Amino acid sequence: MNAFLDSIGYGHWILHVLLVIPLLGIPAIFLVPVRNARWVALGVALVELVLGLGLWWAFDPANPGLQFVTDVPWIGGFGIGYRVGIDGISLMMVLLSVVTMPLVVWGSWSAIDQKQRGFYILLLALKTGMLGVFISLDLFLFYMFWELLLIPMYFVIGMWGSSNRLYAATKFVIYTFVGSALMLISIVWMMWTVGKATGEYSFAYTHLLANAKAMQPYGPYLFGAFALAFAVKVPLFPFHTWLPDAHTEAPTAGSVELAAILLKMGTYGFLRFAIPFFPVFALSKTTGNVMAALAVIGIVYAALVAMVQPDLKRLVAYSSVSHLGFVMLGIWGSTVESVQGAMVVMIAHGLSTGALFFMIGMLYERRHTRKIADFGGLARVAPMLATAFAITTFASIGLPGLNGFIGEFLVLIGSFTRYPWLVAVAATAVVFSACYMLWSTQRVFFNRFTNPLNEGIGDLNVRELAVLVPLILGMFWMGLYPGPILRRTEGAVRRYVEMVSPSLPPSDSTRSSFGAQP
Amino acid sequence: MLIDLSTPGGAVLGLLPELALTAWALVILLVIAWRHTTVADTRLVGQLSIVGYVLAAGAAGWLGLQGAHAEGLNLMIALDGFRFVSDILLLWIGAAVTVISLRWLERQGMLAPEYYVLLMLATVGMMLLAGAADMITLFLGLEVMSISVYVLAGYDRSRRASAEAALKYFLIGAFASGFLLYGIALTYGAAGQFIFSLIGGQLAATPPTLMAKLGMGLLLVGFAFKVAAVPFHAWAPDVYEGAPTPVTAFMASGVKAAAFLALARILAEVFPAFVELWRPVVGGLAIATILVGNLTALAQTSLKRMLAYSAIAHAGYLLLAIWAQSDSGTAAVLIYLLAYGLTTVAAFGILASIERTGTETVRLADLEGLYSTRPLAATGLSVCMLSLLGFPGTFGFIGKWLLLSSALSQGEWLLPLVAMIGSGISIGYYLPVVLAMVMKPAPNPTAHDTIRFPRPATVAIACCVFVILVLGFWPNPVLNFASRQAVQLRHTAVVIAPR
Repeated sequence: MNAFLDSIGYGHWILHVLLVIPLLGIPAIFLVPVRNARWVALGVALVELVLGLGLWWAFDPANPGLQFVTDVPWIGGFGIGYRVGIDGISLMMVLLSVVTMPLVVWGSWSAIDQKQRGFYILLLALKTGMLGVFISLDLFLFYMFWELLLIPMYFVIGMWGSSNRLYAATKFVIYTFVGSALMLISIVWMMWTVGKATGEYSFAYTHLLANAKAMQPYGPYLFGAFALAFAVKVPLFPFHTWLPDAHTEAPTAGSVELAAILLKMGTYGFLRFAIPFFPVFALSKTTGNVMAALAVIGIVYAALVAMVQPDLKRLVAYSSVSHLGFVMLGIWGSTVESVQGAMVVMIAHGLSTGALFFMIGMLYERRHTRKIADFGGLARVAPMLATAFAITTFASIGLPGLNGFIGEFLVLIGSFTRYPWLVAVAATAVVFSACYMLWSTQRVFFNRFTNPLNEGIGDLNVRELAVLVPLILGMFWMGLYPGPILRRTEGAVRRYVEMVSPSLPPSDSTRSSFGAQP
Repeated sequence: MLIDLSTPGGAVLGLLPELALTAWALVILLVIAWRHTTVADTRLVGQLSIVGYVLAAGAAGWLGLQGAHAEGLNLMIALDGFRFVSDILLLWIGAAVTVISLRWLERQGMLAPEYYVLLMLATVGMMLLAGAADMITLFLGLEVMSISVYVLAGYDRSRRASAEAALKYFLIGAFASGFLLYGIALTYGAAGQFIFSLIGGQLAATPPTLMAKLGMGLLLVGFAFKVAAVPFHAWAPDVYEGAPTPVTAFMASGVKAAAFLALARILAEVFPAFVELWRPVVGGLAIATILVGNLTALAQTSLKRMLAYSAIAHAGYLLLAIWAQSDSGTAAVLIYLLAYGLTTVAAFGILASIERTGTETVRLADLEGLYSTRPLAATGLSVCMLSLLGFPGTFGFIGKWLLLSSALSQGEWLLPLVAMIGSGISIGYYLPVVLAMVMKPAPNPTAHDTIRFPRPATVAIACCVFVILVLGFWPNPVLNFASRQAVQLRHTAVVIAPR
């Protein structure tokens, strides 16, 4: 495989091609008749998938640094370049993005019956934005992609969402835009500070990272600005209130993209930018305790809130907050195990929550309701859907053998040395999540069949199976044999931990972490 | 090209852009003398006047390409890249406003071709104001501009709001001119000079006197009135709302741009020695302007009024770059004025076409469902809103970034912080416009049937929107150009007079 990829110069063009192909799809959608718009989107998505999957082999797991790097001037006089590249962390995010893309198009196939052209154009634009965020190695470029993403998402929620969509879309944009406003100041300030110290004025990620020492006097403020932008996106506990609204009101495709990719941009931002630039402040005892505590509050609080939601989609939305709390805890655990765990939770959450949103969308298409109380005993009329939902539920609550378990387990053991008490509290959420997920599954699919309206809803059709089967296979694969994924992220994660660990305060606990150095 | 401004030939050459436009305006007045009765006459005059802008811009471009500079001092008028760029910017605004007025006047039943002549004369005034190298020229330019715009603001005689706007603008304008004139007089008293670079040299060489400080303070107040900086902004919303929409576009982009260009030049050339003194004042004005402008804009339902408050907020952002007092700051002023001018003209152009004949203003509710009947207009206005918001991918973002960058490069964080907070607030009034147009249904199927987009205006607006997007992704040419011209301003400023 590698020889073949080399022979076509794969590494030289793949990232640019991934960025450009969705944009090329946009005029194509304008040119074809409206009813064919979804076919064009599907074609683009499949091309992206096929091309993107090559990264799995072309990526060199032994190299912990950035690969496929390109650096050409863009606004050259001001130190801005088109600088892209990936390491193991961004590799997984890029793969997750290209994998979800055809599924999202498939999942919207019949649900989106009006203004199809606009919808698929926005989906394609969204994809370029997401990939751009994950591969940017220039802070200016990163900021552009980060903000540009808001526009397609805004319209996807606001035009194709359910009844309260305008409120949800506005809230989403205002939260994210205001949250990242200060990040721009931070980025420009970093450019000037490092520029004055080194004489080279540049927004290049590697340049700023190499000279991060020059920024340390302003570390708390600069980190604060980055952290605000990323914490809103994750979302970390007090900044999470936009998420249930946006998730609930968005069309299925929007919810899936939000859950699978957009939320990960926040945690990715912490791993890529906020912590490596300012490790001394970010990982200091106080900041670390506050962030880890917020993460754990989010885990437990969101799990408790999820339990009482009457709306199935809102329930899953709150479960996202809870899962992302695990990612944040893992990142602040700052051991190889915990960060690897965070990576796995990010991917696993993308698959399982994505699948849950797809299935809720399928239920909604059939019954035009998401209220748990309107369902009951669906397993009798839709056995395949019930099976898929049950498997995904188990994956989501972290049953061993499915994907949720590996990540949460790694996070908990990896973070234990630094935050033993918080980890103990976070572990209780595993129980809560079992409660809310299993309880809702029971109420929707099992229990007594009471509502005669549910009689004729029909089971999954071929298209819906095509959406769900890859996701479920992925859940099993990650749960049973996560080695290939862990191997690819390990280099980058280990490098990250080595980079930030000198800044870690000495740990309280006398115990050493499992499998780590004595 | 070396120009000796003390000879008549040199003066004509140095003033070529202004003279060309003035001469053309007089020619057009002659045309009007026997063609002033029908719709076709008004239209003809409008079309003819565009030639004048092209001629003048050609002259300014030619002087710029020749590298025209003065032999010895800049007497009365500056000869540097900054002035030629300013000229082209202002001429472009004048021409664009003329184009969006072309059919609009006829639809609104205003058949008086003198409108276009007034626009041209106002543009001449703006060019003199922005290019002045001498206090007398400065005042002359200011008055030529202001008097023409007073008349333009009241041009819609059938509407009381328009007359009220003109009167208000005239009273406040006269007041501001008074401040400015006192400032000029006191500065002259302190320095004994009218020429900018000589005053600058004189003030730098002697310890600051109270008279000089007072002169500077009064000049700043006069300019704060003209650019509508808080607390001297109260006239702006009423005037912007009452004036005919194309005139509002002209005031919001052109008059403001000319005042800012002049302010940048005065602070760089006349008062560089007092930088520690005026910086806190400009910074304070910027903070107040950004916060008050943005917060008040949130509460508006009339779009013209909302854009008036947003124009106040943008004046606050621009003060950031003035505050920076550096090459990058001056370049940021040029870029931001270009971005803001493009966006404002396009936005008001679209609003003018949406306006129903005889109605007072366009409200937010009038835009609902515009996307379903007029997708291109709705898209254009959405792009304008995003550009005003400073959203990446539009030219407005490049401008905003340069403003922030120019202040941050001086190690200042408070002003950029306030600017970004203001920008965060502003999403609260720009976004509802997009939301109303794209996501809300039209109140009734015939709601937008009265909208007429005349072809010339459509072309002009489409060009603006296209340029906003292209420069949002590829700003290199204008960035490099503006940086080069901005450096020239500072280099003329360091001339020290022998005394």
